Amino acid sequence: MSVLTVTNLKKSFGPNEILKDISLSIEKGEVVSIIGPSGGGKTTLLRCLNFLEEADSGTLTFDGVSYTLPSVTKKEIGEIRKETGFVFQSYNLFANKTALENVTQGLITVRKKPKAEAEKIGMEMLRKVNMEDRASYFPAQLSGGQQQRVAIARALAGDPDIIYFDEPTSALDPELIGEVLRVMQDLAEGGLTMLVVTHEMSFARDVSKRTIFMEGGVIVEEGPSKELFTHPENARTAEFIRSVER
Amino acid sequence: MSKVWEIILESFWPLFTKGLLVTIPLTAISFAIALVIAVIVALIQYAKVPVLTQIARFYIWLIRGTPLLVQLFIVFYGLPGLGIRVNAFWAAVFVFSVCEGAYCAETIRGALEAVPYGQTEAGYCVGMNFAQTMWHIVLPQAFRNAFPALMNSLISMVKDTSLAANITVNEMFMTGQRIAGRTYQFLAIYIEVAFIYLMFCTVLSLVQKKLEGVLSRYERKDAA
Repeated sequence: MSVLTVTNLKKSFGPNEILKDISLSIEKGEVVSIIGPSGGGKTTLLRCLNFLEEADSGTLTFDGVSYTLPSVTKKEIGEIRKETGFVFQSYNLFANKTALENVTQGLITVRKKPKAEAEKIGMEMLRKVNMEDRASYFPAQLSGGQQQRVAIARALAGDPDIIYFDEPTSALDPELIGEVLRVMQDLAEGGLTMLVVTHEMSFARDVSKRTIFMEGGVIVEEGPSKELFTHPENARTAEFIRSVER
Repeated sequence: MSKVWEIILESFWPLFTKGLLVTIPLTAISFAIALVIAVIVALIQYAKVPVLTQIARFYIWLIRGTPLLVQLFIVFYGLPGLGIRVNAFWAAVFVFSVCEGAYCAETIRGALEAVPYGQTEAGYCVGMNFAQTMWHIVLPQAFRNAFPALMNSLISMVKDTSLAANITVNEMFMTGQRIAGRTYQFLAIYIEVAFIYLMFCTVLSLVQKKLEGVLSRYERKDAA
């Protein structure tokens, strides 16, 4: 069963058409990577899926319910966001909250869970990303890799149907990338549905089942990761993979 | 010379109690109302609410462009001409709140805009709506940003309440004027009044220092 299906998604910023007719579908438990050069619309696509940007047109089917974009009500957006998680490139942890509070914020405010129960879930999520010993730390006291792992715990807390990762390791120092990728790999093996915009080719090739190559606002090529990386059909895909794997 | 000291000592307690019972409450009530006004006016502009944003800008333009003393006179001496009579103390509270609200609104708007937008987006992504995101995430951080400037406004206001003497509010300065008029010790008494204002403001400065430490707890790099 597909968690998410998008058809004919379009988005422009002024005269610039960023997404030109994008269609894709994500199955439950599937891990899909989106790769491609900067400015190709990868991040915008992810942001449209979670309504951080308003798409100009298209259809979104989420958990079996179809919505015509952009005419989606605030209430519907709220419902969809409750079932999704989002991990930002720049972490965006709540600066005035501890690691644990970052994870429990949505549980308490949105899901109305009692504080004790929320904290129990919160600690469990922090354990999954190996951050339980930093529960009482504020984001400013954590390294980038640690912040990103807390951000992943926060995204996991609501038991979402899918988590969107927007270049989760791009802002990290090289030696911190590994710890975040390891957590993501664990989650992928645990059956979490993930859509990952990434420049980490090893993650796309080895962890995700399927890879989408996007450029110029269109999906140029998609397929099982191993095949796409070893035998790309499109010349541009081949060129891109060659250039990043150098 | 000893007579001057006697007058100074004798008038300290009447002046100090006036400060405690009129100047401080006048400041505290007005500033509390001003903060509520300021947060609302700042949020209206931050969220770019149509029509209300224009009204907010008009309010700030009008209040910032006119002298506080003139505003006091309009309300206390002018409004009775329209049949609106207000007790002097509450007229002062009204004017100080509305006036300070305009200045603080700008302080808070700036502080809100200084909070990175990613904080708001992260709030949305955990399922919170605009109001919840503002209340739990953005406003607390904006308040921390605005705190030094707001304390500036508060300290300013303690002293500005002396203007209320002009509309018959019997606060500390007016009490000082009366004592000075009776004793002819203008220099001594006015310096004494200034000293008591200084005492109040010193306490506030100390409170500010203490509170800033608490508020910026989350910004410190050292471990919890």
